[in-house]
Amino acid sequence: MISFLIALSITAWVYYQTTHRIGELEPNDRIDDNDFQLCNEDKIAEYYGMNTDYIGGKKAIKSKILNKLQFLDFKESGLLTYRFVVNCEGEIGRFRLKATNTDLQKIEVDSKNILEIENTLSELKNWNPAKNKAGNTYDSYYVLNFKIENKKIIDIF
Amino acid sequence: MKKIFKIFKILLTVLLAAYSVIVIGFLFFSDKEDRYDFASHSQGSYLSQSMFEVLKFQNPQNDEIYFEQSVPFNKRGDYEKGFELLNKAVEYNPRVHLGYRGYMKLRFLRDFKGAIIDFDKLDKLTPNVIDTPWGEDIDFLRGEAYFGLGEYEKAIKHFDQSIENQGENWAEIQSYVYLGICETKLQNFDKAIVSYNRAINQSKYVCEAHLGLAKVYNEIGEIEKAKEHIIKAEEYFQYKRNDPYNEFLNEIYKSDILTLKSNLGV
Repeated sequence: MISFLIALSITAWVYYQTTHRIGELEPNDRIDDNDFQLCNEDKIAEYYGMNTDYIGGKKAIKSKILNKLQFLDFKESGLLTYRFVVNCEGEIGRFRLKATNTDLQKIEVDSKNILEIENTLSELKNWNPAKNKAGNTYDSYYVLNFKIENKKIIDIF
Repeated sequence: MKKIFKIFKILLTVLLAAYSVIVIGFLFFSDKEDRYDFASHSQGSYLSQSMFEVLKFQNPQNDEIYFEQSVPFNKRGDYEKGFELLNKAVEYNPRVHLGYRGYMKLRFLRDFKGAIIDFDKLDKLTPNVIDTPWGEDIDFLRGEAYFGLGEYEKAIKHFDQSIENQGENWAEIQSYVYLGICETKLQNFDKAIVSYNRAINQSKYVCEAHLGLAKVYNEIGEIEKAKEHIIKAEEYFQYKRNDPYNEFLNEIYKSDILTLKSNLGV
């Protein structure tokens, strides 16, 4: 019985460890848009593996939203790194932010600024979802950095 | 029947115990190289991270483990964690990891000053060696970092050095493109034309150089030549420089070509 329980525990642990990856974004009803749906919650690719991108690339993102965000002031220089999901329909959601200063230490960001950036990001509608050679589309993660210098966003990449 | 059941029970116990011992043995006691390879090849999984944690516990100053463990965090935008690990790798073996950290600061963080500091430190540590952080010439990367800072004269110095390091026909083709952009920024249009043409002499498919030439010729009023090169930029656009992880500082887009084409009336 003991050997069975040990073997079962190890199997469950290995299964959990092999089926989960760092950077996974779990849904959170409190902060996520409930209308945003994934095609397959269990299979979310990484942006770099399946060419997830915005039509016109990062340049198009920057030209669409950088000016709109210039009214925001930030306390510290550093990076705001958003990780979010581009679903198989080319819609985005499940935004998660990691904010770091120039020494890459975690910093707090005014919640109003976070909301403004997320609302502006939501206006981006021209996403190319992850796609395989056969043309099938998939959900995937995407990473977008906002560089802060002298209290302002100076670059998006 | 009772005896068979007992034998079955013992066999099952032995099998389950053996299974547990094998799994635990692999995780904690198998060959370190095998475990490192396994963890590296299953990059990003929790199991990979757990194996790196075990390996770090057993080899607390092995720089390669910290380096490899940092990779998936940085790819996923968790730079706080990724660089915490990478900084450890640099601490334990600066010669091997300073260049990569500089490369990451340049390409992933656009921390141009931080990248230059790392490249310069590496250069001092390895006199008489031309370093190639993550496979790219150190002066090409330094040039790119100065370009990011808008210090075009310093960028030119390093791109020139990079070409000298590698030889005219073996140099990174984008060195010539960057030189062309820097000279254009400095209003040295003749030099810009020479630089872009050096890229095209290596390969006619360098659409970035054709776009650069079209811009310069448009700027100096040689419209027919500008038209000629903007058409080539569009023709060879499929060969543009891109990277699945990051946008390059000199990356071009179809919109750049279409805008200039429209201005030129093509």
